[in-house]
Amino acid sequence: MSVSRRNFLKGLAVGGTAGYFAMAGVTSTVMKDMFLPDEPVGDDDIGEIKSVKVTQVSETSWFDNPILVNDMQKAGGLLVNQYIIPWTHEGVKIGFNGDNSGGYSALLDIEFLDGSKKKILFDCGWNTAWMDECFKREGVDKMLENHEIDLMFVTHEHFDHYWGIESVLKHHQEIPVAVPKGFYQEGFDLLQGKHFDIAKVKNDYPHKGKVTVRESGKVHHLYPGVASITFDSSIITRVKGEQAMVLNVKDKGLVVITGCCHMGIISLLQEVRHRVKGGKKIYAIQGGLHISPFEDWDPQYDDLIKAIPAYGIEVMACNHCTGYLTAEKMVKAGLPVVQGTARFKSKKKLFLGNGDQVMFG
Amino acid sequence: MISLKDHMWLESRILENKMQQPLRGIVGVLISFIMFYALWWIFMDVRGIMRWYTPQYGYMYIRWILIVVIWQAYIFNFWPFTKFRETSHPIVSGLGLIAVNFALVGAVIWGFFYNFLGKFSIPYLSVDGLTKLGMTQFYAREYSSLAILMFAAIASWLSPIVPVCFNNQPWHNMKQPARGITVFLVTLFASVLCFFCLMHPHYHVLFWPWQEYAAAYPWWFNFAHTLHGNFNVGWVMCGTVAIWLLEVTFDRYPFALIKNKIVRGIVGFFGVLAFAMLIFFAFNFVQDLSWGPAVDGAKRIYAPDWRYLHSGELAIMMLIPAMILNFYFDNGPKKYGPAVNIALRMLIILVGMGVFHFLYYKFSPGLLGTQAGYSHPQQFPMAPGILFICCMLFHNWFMDFWPGKKRVGHVETMLDENGDEIGKEKEAETGFVPGNLAGAYCETAQPSAVNGKPATAMYKHVE
Repeated sequence: MSVSRRNFLKGLAVGGTAGYFAMAGVTSTVMKDMFLPDEPVGDDDIGEIKSVKVTQVSETSWFDNPILVNDMQKAGGLLVNQYIIPWTHEGVKIGFNGDNSGGYSALLDIEFLDGSKKKILFDCGWNTAWMDECFKREGVDKMLENHEIDLMFVTHEHFDHYWGIESVLKHHQEIPVAVPKGFYQEGFDLLQGKHFDIAKVKNDYPHKGKVTVRESGKVHHLYPGVASITFDSSIITRVKGEQAMVLNVKDKGLVVITGCCHMGIISLLQEVRHRVKGGKKIYAIQGGLHISPFEDWDPQYDDLIKAIPAYGIEVMACNHCTGYLTAEKMVKAGLPVVQGTARFKSKKKLFLGNGDQVMFG
Repeated sequence: MISLKDHMWLESRILENKMQQPLRGIVGVLISFIMFYALWWIFMDVRGIMRWYTPQYGYMYIRWILIVVIWQAYIFNFWPFTKFRETSHPIVSGLGLIAVNFALVGAVIWGFFYNFLGKFSIPYLSVDGLTKLGMTQFYAREYSSLAILMFAAIASWLSPIVPVCFNNQPWHNMKQPARGITVFLVTLFASVLCFFCLMHPHYHVLFWPWQEYAAAYPWWFNFAHTLHGNFNVGWVMCGTVAIWLLEVTFDRYPFALIKNKIVRGIVGFFGVLAFAMLIFFAFNFVQDLSWGPAVDGAKRIYAPDWRYLHSGELAIMMLIPAMILNFYFDNGPKKYGPAVNIALRMLIILVGMGVFHFLYYKFSPGLLGTQAGYSHPQQFPMAPGILFICCMLFHNWFMDFWPGKKRVGHVETMLDENGDEIGKEKEAETGFVPGNLAGAYCETAQPSAVNGKPATAMYKHVE
């Protein structure tokens, strides 16, 4: 069958015009307004606290970046199960006694409106020798022994946030533990005293207290003015699920505290806005923002730095997996990044380091 | 004059059925899947042997396997292995040509990119080039792999355009290897140009300080709300899928009705582009409906750049059932008019895409060693998807669908200087309906797409 040019072009014009309007219709603002729901406004009232002081027990999860990345590469990349990666534990010049592993942990001192106080240990690091030293430096070991710490809040199952659990349980085996949904059986086994020989992680002090698994998709009220939110995030080294904490400081606004924030800080801020009363005004964020933990980069991170100013955050006490490169770019973009003191093996003053404290309220 | 076999070896094949349907189709899909799974386990799976899916490093190889298989079969007609292809048992032919494919992929990546372009022009195309600048070895490999696979993404869109849209015009009468080399160089040149416009700006912002003297600022930022090259990867992948849908599902209809092959090629090219944009924006909109609008600066499912990338991933998920339908289930239905046949096929493909989408996200963690969840910054459904497509192409192009079919010869057709079959009589003149379909198909009033011979004639068929 051959074709008449004139007829073909006539058909082309008719079909093309119809197609154009169909496509314009599908992607038009009118269609979006019709089908997409309005942005929700948070109405969950979590109450208020007077203040919260965050002590950065350790933000140095590992000491030599290329060695850690090389460990993952040799094992098969970023998707390999963390429990079967042979991590480097000796011969690292800038490590802690030659060990490349460190850990992330923070201590939260919360004062409520009635003057009462609670302490939360926010993650427990990785290398038990390093964490023992950090806990001793900040007095956390004594607090645990005296049962002054009310909750062991595990943000996620990553090696550098959770595998130092022995350093906690050796002082207080009954401490209540809260983990996000997504924890693997290996994580629960470690809590109960299992050893993992390839990864060289162990716990000789089985946990005897209550374990709470927090589901995603809702706000969990912990104490008046203190809540947590869980995200169903898939994370490198096969980890799944992460939780963050939201505290409402009287006369200041919401303070969001994270471990690594693999779900993305914008997603976390959006979730807080959509679920928590007063979420439009987020006063501060503290903790790891997981942007360039290995000093790597992706243009998506520039998108983030460009987007953050719209949220009007007054204090950015970020550190750890935020990455020094990100902090440098954030400072250059005029964001209110809190400087650190670069003590106790923290490398730069660009952000809050080991032993540094920040007070909200 | 040139024979159809010399012009397009695959189209001149006469394949004889050795099994009845649906057994033939099921066996064919299973063989492709077994090939895929073996390759995935050996080279990619994080629990497997080589563990190259780190992810960019392995993903780069998969992308290039696709390009090279297109070069081997579509552009070079298997030259210089045509005789081997014709005389060997399908298994021997398959293994031999897959080995050639892998060797060429290695040569392209290690020779052309790592040790030539990466060394003498742009460091981000070479692992050594980046490590010498102080980058960790892992990220040097991941960054260079991303750049090289982005190049492949563009080549996978542009490489089939000359044979599919232009029917190899104006070089259709050249003999191999002259024609293959010509088409290869033309598409390579176009791919290089597109790479510099579509992907190179991504590298303006990837390194710190920004490379403002070496690359343009990502020009798409203001309307795409991301600096990431995934915006372009997404629509380019939709372009790749659009051209293959035109080939395997639309039987190159309605553009095959345009008589002048150069006009057909030009119209076809823009038609495919417009169709690609429709797929791209439609899948973006579907994601908005599913998860809510993307949020500037967000990560994972809310990241604008990931949404664009995922549109490309969804397009690949659409292509897989289209290829299964064409390769293994006789591209039915065929008993109605072209427009109705195509509409029904598209319906089947969309249902198949939904099934594939469900199965992938349900079973890939256990089966492929990936992680549960839609968005993960370190994994790409396109990687296993494209590898499976490569295996279907191996099974068809290198192995004649063994054991479901057997090649029993080639049609003895000669083509005239225009590339038309000699002795084929002219049929009644028409135009409005195909023009109308072409216009609707292109969505915008831009003229449309593709080439001559219906794709069902990728081989002749006897019962």
